[in-house]
Amino acid sequence: MNIRVENVRQVWESRDGSQVVALDGFTHTFKSGRFSCILGPSGCGKSTMAQIVGGIETATSGTVTLEGTDSGKKGSSSVMVWQSQNLFPWRSVLDNVAFGPEMAGMSRRERTERARDLINLVGLKGFERHFPTQLSGGMRQRVALARALIMDRPILLMDEPFGALDAQTKIVMQEELMRIFDATRKTVIFVTHSIDEAILLGDEVIVMTARPGRIKEVIEVDLPRPRSIEMVSTPAFGALFDRAFHLIRDEVTKAMQEQNAKAGALS
Amino acid sequence: MTKRRAKGRLAEKILPALSIVVFLVAWQLFVDIRNIPPIYLPSPVAIVRALFEMAEDGTLFYNLGATLLRILVGFLLATVIGIFFGIVMGMSRLFERIVDPWIAALYPLPKISLIPLLIIWLGTGEAYKIVISAVTAFFPIVMSTYAGVRQVDRGLIKAAEDLGANRRQAQISVVLPAAIPTIFAGLQLGMGVTIILVVAAEMIGGSSSGGMGNLLIQAGQVMETEKVFAALVVLTLMGAFIMKGQQWLDRRLAPWANYV
Repeated sequence: MNIRVENVRQVWESRDGSQVVALDGFTHTFKSGRFSCILGPSGCGKSTMAQIVGGIETATSGTVTLEGTDSGKKGSSSVMVWQSQNLFPWRSVLDNVAFGPEMAGMSRRERTERARDLINLVGLKGFERHFPTQLSGGMRQRVALARALIMDRPILLMDEPFGALDAQTKIVMQEELMRIFDATRKTVIFVTHSIDEAILLGDEVIVMTARPGRIKEVIEVDLPRPRSIEMVSTPAFGALFDRAFHLIRDEVTKAMQEQNAKAGALS
Repeated sequence: MTKRRAKGRLAEKILPALSIVVFLVAWQLFVDIRNIPPIYLPSPVAIVRALFEMAEDGTLFYNLGATLLRILVGFLLATVIGIFFGIVMGMSRLFERIVDPWIAALYPLPKISLIPLLIIWLGTGEAYKIVISAVTAFFPIVMSTYAGVRQVDRGLIKAAEDLGANRRQAQISVVLPAAIPTIFAGLQLGMGVTIILVVAAEMIGGSSSGGMGNLLIQAGQVMETEKVFAALVVLTLMGAFIMKGQQWLDRRLAPWANYV
């Protein structure tokens, strides 16, 4: 299903009563079965955008509609993979993955079976009985992915899922995600601040401006699938990278200047 | 190099025990050589002898049993009521507003100062000893349960709701288990004050109903100093066993909490 986002605006009220416009005039259609990356400097509202699509946050104004479905409930069509994973520390890997089906009232036998399938899919066979704190960051993120995939919802939202991982683990996880995406063909909205990652994973890269977050440009990524990390060194990748880099550099500079100005005003 | 390190590890293991043994030997020698009257300071050997005598004539186990039973009942009472109030306060803003002023006002009050009042109301029997220890243990338990429920990571609740949990499911399946490590910390504090208050209540309360506190006071009044020391040794060991047992139980019930 397509996700039509129209004129979404998000305003936060800060403690001193002043208003911060996090997102402004965000209009875009996320096409069904596509991998869309939202790329932008920190604080540009890209995570907020993903949460609005997921029904976790409510936009101040604007609309999100899911085309090709009459269920108006956004939440039940999508599921989020969080940067901080948000795994339940008191639940084993198996019970974390089975959480959604358990809440939906599925029998223990059935949900265990499904959870095992997904644990295998993300390459965690043998770790079913481990607790999240016994796992590395990369493995925890695999659990979070399995816990989301078990919901079998058409839209997968990913909020900087690999942001906290070390460089090598990140590459492995990106390749895994590409494999899983090719196998499941969800509609993915992937939030990141890494240009490499956005181009490597995405069918399109939505470059955002610094606060207030607006769409600066949408870059179509026509690299063939299946993708692999080797593509990073191809000329086509290089050209896309340059384009995204020049767009984002201005925004990062702007964001830094704004922060400096704010720090100056405070001191 | 490795030999020296191995020796270092061995020394590290032995030193705590050695420290106690050396202290006891020095104590014994000091008492023997200086001829200290046992009324002031009995020797370790005399204390052990008193311990065995008390074990043999049954006074030790009778009093220890009475004390343990009171601790258990007082603690369980405080646990059930404290956790219940803590959870309801954490989950209901209305209830929190009603109960909070009472807890805030009564928390700093030294609970031991309630003893005269409780004796007037309840007499010096079992009820007063259990009530005073339960009232004291209630506060750390209710406060940490409340804090545990309130401080649950919002991200976990959002994640649960995103995965289809409704509000009630999120509270039972996320808020409660997430609060368990904090609740257990409160239970350990609660157990500590329960022990103190039961023994203190036994020292002040009636003489007929026994208990380690009562044993201590009685031995002290007739200057059976070695019995006083023997009772102190038993109380120390009892406290250590209860605390260790509680920690062991916590680890068994919430194995994940160790890794955090």
